[in-house]
Amino acid sequence: MLFLKKTFPHFATGLMLSLVSFTSIASVTEFTLDNQMKVLVKQDNRAPVVVHQVWYRVGSHFEHSGKTGISHILEHMMFKGTKDLKPGEFSKIVSKMGGSENAFTSTDFTAYYQVVGKQHLSEVMRLESDRMRNIILTDEEFIKERDVVTEERRWRTEDKPSGKLYEQFKATAFMSSPAHHPVIGWMSDIRSWTAEDARNWYQQWYAPNNATLVVVGDVDPQDVYALAKKHYGKNKPEEITAPRPQVEIAQEGERRITLKGATKTPSILMGFHAPTLVTAKDETEKQEVFALEVLSSILDGDDSARLTKNLVRKEQVVASAGAGYDGTDRLTTLFMFSATPSEGVPPEKAEAAIWQEINKLKTELVSQQELERVLAQSEAQYIYHQDSTQSQANVLGSLVSVGLPADTLDTWVDELRKVTPEQVRAVAKKYLHEDKVTVATLIPNGKQVKKSANHVSHAGGAH
Amino acid sequence: MKNRIYHIPKRGMKACLVVASMLLSFSAMATVDIQSWQTTSGAKVMYVQANQLPMLDIEVAFDAGSARDADSWGVAAMTSGLLGTATSKLNEDQVSETFNSIGAQIGSSVTRDSASISIRTLTRPEIMQTALNTFETLISDTQFTKPIFDREMQRLKIGLKQKSVEPQVISNETLWKTLYGNHPYAHPTSGTLESVESITLDSLKAFYKKYYVASNAVISIVGNVNKAQAKEIAEKLMQNLPKGQKAPGLVAPKAINKHKSITIDFDSTQTYYSLAQLGIERGHPDYAALFVGNHILGGSGFGSLLMEEVREKRGLVYSVYSYFAPQKVAGPFLIGLSTKNASALEADKVVRETLDGFLKDFTDEKLQAIKDNLIGGFPLRIDSNAKILGYISMIGFYGLPLDYLEWFPKQIEQVTKEDVLEAWNMHIKPDEMLKIMVGKPE
Repeated sequence: MLFLKKTFPHFATGLMLSLVSFTSIASVTEFTLDNQMKVLVKQDNRAPVVVHQVWYRVGSHFEHSGKTGISHILEHMMFKGTKDLKPGEFSKIVSKMGGSENAFTSTDFTAYYQVVGKQHLSEVMRLESDRMRNIILTDEEFIKERDVVTEERRWRTEDKPSGKLYEQFKATAFMSSPAHHPVIGWMSDIRSWTAEDARNWYQQWYAPNNATLVVVGDVDPQDVYALAKKHYGKNKPEEITAPRPQVEIAQEGERRITLKGATKTPSILMGFHAPTLVTAKDETEKQEVFALEVLSSILDGDDSARLTKNLVRKEQVVASAGAGYDGTDRLTTLFMFSATPSEGVPPEKAEAAIWQEINKLKTELVSQQELERVLAQSEAQYIYHQDSTQSQANVLGSLVSVGLPADTLDTWVDELRKVTPEQVRAVAKKYLHEDKVTVATLIPNGKQVKKSANHVSHAGGAH
Repeated sequence: MKNRIYHIPKRGMKACLVVASMLLSFSAMATVDIQSWQTTSGAKVMYVQANQLPMLDIEVAFDAGSARDADSWGVAAMTSGLLGTATSKLNEDQVSETFNSIGAQIGSSVTRDSASISIRTLTRPEIMQTALNTFETLISDTQFTKPIFDREMQRLKIGLKQKSVEPQVISNETLWKTLYGNHPYAHPTSGTLESVESITLDSLKAFYKKYYVASNAVISIVGNVNKAQAKEIAEKLMQNLPKGQKAPGLVAPKAINKHKSITIDFDSTQTYYSLAQLGIERGHPDYAALFVGNHILGGSGFGSLLMEEVREKRGLVYSVYSYFAPQKVAGPFLIGLSTKNASALEADKVVRETLDGFLKDFTDEKLQAIKDNLIGGFPLRIDSNAKILGYISMIGFYGLPLDYLEWFPKQIEQVTKEDVLEAWNMHIKPDEMLKIMVGKPE
């Protein structure tokens, strides 16, 4: 029923006073080491815990055809030992501290993190700085891990029609940009990687001058800086060459694909190329990004938003519908829509219903009430977000990794507040254009699921 | 901004149905000061003050999960889903608008044991007032209307249709059905395509009337309100609900006591595999020993035996896990994984060998490492209001002792290898487990 779909902002003016007076919201302290590694620290004394993360500026948007997914497999290999540590030992040490740890790979960054009691900060820094430059990447370990990644791909994508649809949708919406590729890589690329590929990728990108350290928790920024100098300061920088531009070609007409999948219900995805704070060439385009953010919240910020209110509840033409846009991507992104038609409604009717909402936005101004709701939600989200040190660290790391200021989130609501109804209408007209749309439709392949269970019972242990 | 970031976590262990609840505090550690009382109408209240952020979280859990469905499978989930859609004063759009315009968030969830509705709001007085006033009406004054019921039924059916072709869902549903037979836990929480046909608006209203009563509620409150305010809030939330009756206890399920193997032919690239049997209920005295052992076997991600054998040594899976899901009465114990069809039988063999080996013995180092992890990790488990709310809600709902968060780690610390082996060999019978494979296993 009433679930907020988004983790980030929506918000209210009338009742918003400055919340900042209530709690002193800790600011972020920034340092740069001599080897050009960035350090960001945010103090949060609510628990004797610290989140420690290292973010490398590399991900699937840095990759080329034939080598897709190499950033992701390298992330797996980072747990396979260094000159001083056996495979898996890193995780065991952190586990014994009572810590939790993991890593994730995205389009523009690869991040490694530990959450530990604050007394262990120096030790996790020592471990993380060691694997920044000293991993041992053997052929044998690599081949095993490559198999693990093929299983991961099967689990995430191959047996999930919705996962396949998204992948093929992205590959259609982006033709020349690396956003064409899935983060995990295409299966045939995965199968053909070699350990040497991963070693080269590591050498090329894993260096202090291509990394950001983020620490959030019960720490003093100066202490963190001193520790960072001690542990990370000794790592030598690498010459980092920016990836080739691979700019997305202009779209001159609608693109459309159909996927027949193992599903019982059709669904659609629609997307339009859109700028981001990073790609914006000037202030005017930056303003457009915030207008697009407001637009996306008005369509799908919460269950008062237009898609749910008009299409799910009132017209009942779709069982669910959503819109999504992330103005903090490093490359040109997509303003997206998704929908599952109601029972018996053909997908083209759901698509027409989305267009009807888009067209309203192009012709009529959004109401002041809608704008205020977007602001109220964003203000509140800003507070809620501080309940989790990890979420605070994730936001900081992802912003800085794509080249945005660390305080981007702190000024977010103020930027949204400047957006006018006219600007919202203007970006709807400019970007949600019928010649710029990519549509992907998933339809049932008509295969019946055979559920012929054969039950074999044994009285005893059948091993 | 950051919504739906597409990240690939390295070790996304599939989320367990029930987070293994943990723990604890140690002497020198920060502990959570939980206070508990009853409202005048007989609801249990759990409260923790947290003043650092100007926000408040409340969860109201009713003993009204799908175990209470009786013959109307899915009615509990449907009731929970319709809760708060409209009240006598506000239509559906107005309810949403009321919360959204002040940045308050409402959520609801339903499991086999419980149905809960929750709110997160800022504590600035005028905002909190509006949020709580409206939240109270969702609990006591929901109008279950025919048009909304019909629409949501259609949406539910689409969801159920979709689930019927997801191999993991097929596997889970088969597991519960086979392990629990005629027990109220046997059917899926959301019901089935066939069963929801029999749910009517009247049956839903009757369910609401019977189970959504003060005696059957546990209210958990965490955030920037003092005890006097918390008392007032709890009274207020129950003021218009009848006292009613607490739901009766559930019967204990019976184990199947013989090995059973079920293969469901499904056109997928992986086989979804589980090996399961009945486990234990919440509050069982052997829980600490079983819990520590499970972390060694497959509950702790990377250091666990299953992960080492099935993934690290052989590259057969991305994820393999084991867990106990203790509930009001015995929940399942299970080991789960998915692997390409061609290695399903090999994975099965490795899982069984690993389980058999573990039941015989494991190293003292492993035991110590897991204890260090569980005890040292305590502060991480209570470092946010959301996590604390999860714990106190569990403690309140299952009637665990108030000092559970201090008591459980002490239990963990005292567990010996003999305790673990004894408890595991008493509860887990490899020769009597249920094996389910969905896919085209070879």
